[in-house]
Amino acid sequence: MPQGKLCNRQPIKTDEQLKLTLSDKSGNQYYAEMKELDVDTELLWSTIQKTMKSRLKTWLEICAHCGMCAESCFLYQVNDRVPEQVPSYKIQSTLGHIVKKKGQVSNEFMRNCMKIAWSQCTCCNRCGTYCPHGIDMGIMFSYLRGLLYSQGFVPWELKIGSGMHRVYRAQMDVTTEDWVETCEWMAEETEEEWPGLTIPVDKKDAEIMYTCNAREPKHYPEDLAEAAILFHVAGTNWTVPSEGWEQTSLSMFAGDWECCKDNVKHVYDAIERLNPAMVTGTECGHAHRATVIEGPYWVGRPDGLPPKPYVHYVEWLAQALREGKLKIDPAKRIKEPVTLQDSCNYVRNQGLKDVTREIISYIVEPGYFVEMSPNKEHNYCCGGGGGFNGIGMYREQRNVALRKKMDQIQDTGCKLVIAPCHNCWDAIRDLEEEYEIGIRWSFLKPLIIGMLDIPEGMRVEW
Amino acid sequence: MYELLTGPVLWLVFAISFGGLLVRVVLYFKGLSQQLDRVAYRPHLSYALKGAFNSIISWLNPVGARAWRIRPGFTIIFFAFHIGLLFTPIFLAAHNIMLQENLGFSLPQLPACIADILSWTVIVAGLFMILRRFAFPEVRILTTAYDYLLLAITMAPFVTGLIARYQFGDYQFWLLAHIITGEIWLLCLPFTKLSHCVLFFCSRAQLGMDYGVKRGGMKGTTFSW
Repeated sequence: MPQGKLCNRQPIKTDEQLKLTLSDKSGNQYYAEMKELDVDTELLWSTIQKTMKSRLKTWLEICAHCGMCAESCFLYQVNDRVPEQVPSYKIQSTLGHIVKKKGQVSNEFMRNCMKIAWSQCTCCNRCGTYCPHGIDMGIMFSYLRGLLYSQGFVPWELKIGSGMHRVYRAQMDVTTEDWVETCEWMAEETEEEWPGLTIPVDKKDAEIMYTCNAREPKHYPEDLAEAAILFHVAGTNWTVPSEGWEQTSLSMFAGDWECCKDNVKHVYDAIERLNPAMVTGTECGHAHRATVIEGPYWVGRPDGLPPKPYVHYVEWLAQALREGKLKIDPAKRIKEPVTLQDSCNYVRNQGLKDVTREIISYIVEPGYFVEMSPNKEHNYCCGGGGGFNGIGMYREQRNVALRKKMDQIQDTGCKLVIAPCHNCWDAIRDLEEEYEIGIRWSFLKPLIIGMLDIPEGMRVEW
Repeated sequence: MYELLTGPVLWLVFAISFGGLLVRVVLYFKGLSQQLDRVAYRPHLSYALKGAFNSIISWLNPVGARAWRIRPGFTIIFFAFHIGLLFTPIFLAAHNIMLQENLGFSLPQLPACIADILSWTVIVAGLFMILRRFAFPEVRILTTAYDYLLLAITMAPFVTGLIARYQFGDYQFWLLAHIITGEIWLLCLPFTKLSHCVLFFCSRAQLGMDYGVKRGGMKGTTFSW
């Protein structure tokens, strides 16, 4: 069959198409159509020829088949070490096969690739750091996802996710008006307790521009209020843009390259328009990866950097604590065993391992912080990265994937996990729901607010 | 026959092998793309080079990368194999005598017993590498006939070399067999996966630059992946 009504090679570009796809409960029709979807093998091969250069080609060619990557993959570990979960096998049997066949592959093969690309790899990039030849299979899987997306073989939720970005320029249907209203609403609510607090929208030349995750205005607006409180207490001259505030990129998870570029461009336009001294985003890993680490390349910036210094929230927070702009009341520090989840997207992929530990040193009573093992760049994915959390069809596989993090947390003996990343936070919440191991988990913002040493008169006690 | 194989044929083999490897390296670096690889190689060249250097050094050192440290058994076999493979042909006394006769210079020569030990190391380590391809399901699933063929091509000059060296059977035959298998191995370098003898450095350098520029190097991390 040619292309389906819902499942096809075209991205979702209109609200109508978006709503139509959303109304297909659990993607039943979408996946039924996928079974009939033709593979445009010519397009597939020409895309590969245009985009696969020496790095990827060499990676596919020189893999020594040594199997060193096996044990590095948490999905291999939690799935009874079945050989089909060896990273090298996963990529050779999918992308490797497509290349070998010069794109001449079947519908069934592409559907199997989809399953492997979205349920057997979270693009955590850990295997790449265990390969003697420096072969980063996470990067190759991101690339494969791009090829699959361009052919219409993408999980239903992610087709919708990137469609949301295209239509709303946010991962959820939050319009500019919704966003600005949420800012006003949160400012009003919070101002009662914190006199003088504002959430300035579109203020030019501020010290900091703040970007966030659309889930915050949509589902947890208090997160925005918390960010505002911390900027307010730190005396920061900050702003949020009315447009270009959404930092996340489900399109990156989906492999919608064109949309990735558009997302980031939108944020960069806001930076150019408002000219802040620097930018920071919320406690999110993939948003940082998309907008700060990969984004400059998507939009073709020659220096590989965003238009202004763009730091992760943990960097801003560490600096504010270091400089004494935010002061912690020592009596309120955490006095129970607590552990930290290192997010793959900004720890393994940007080396921000020490700043989070610096924050820990301010907020946890000495002797109570317990490292996970392994940690920092060698930490395992939370189990829900790369879009895995959000795909209904692979929920069962995702739940198995959570076991690695569960074991790591249980080995620390801690009941409290600090998770400064939306995806990790979600995964840890889900693992508690699924396995009931009796843990609590938190972003940094609420923890910090709870232990601030606040100058008299700054907060109205009720 | 001996003259032919160690004369014009050898020169041709060297030219094809080393020329081919050089082409592979040049093509590799020419094929890198800032936008597609998402690494700003040139604008942050000093970070890039630092990362490349760090990456290569960490993986040439058997305790440099975590992957080596946590798998000591494999690491020992793997390093022993490659050290024997590299050092024996370059520093073998017999090869250097040929070098002296043909080009008028020679490299330091390995004492015979060391050369023997290194050659045996290649064979024993190679056998272990074959064995693990059978024994471990995670390696077995990746293994193809091509992997065994390449191991055979690589080990053949050592096997024939040792037989000739101990003068088992017909010395002349085994000497010629040694030369031919050695030349086959050299010819395979640029055209097969054995090209990793140079592409290892290229690929490591690339990932090192990726980390050195984009994935933490510019944030001051000293992670040696």
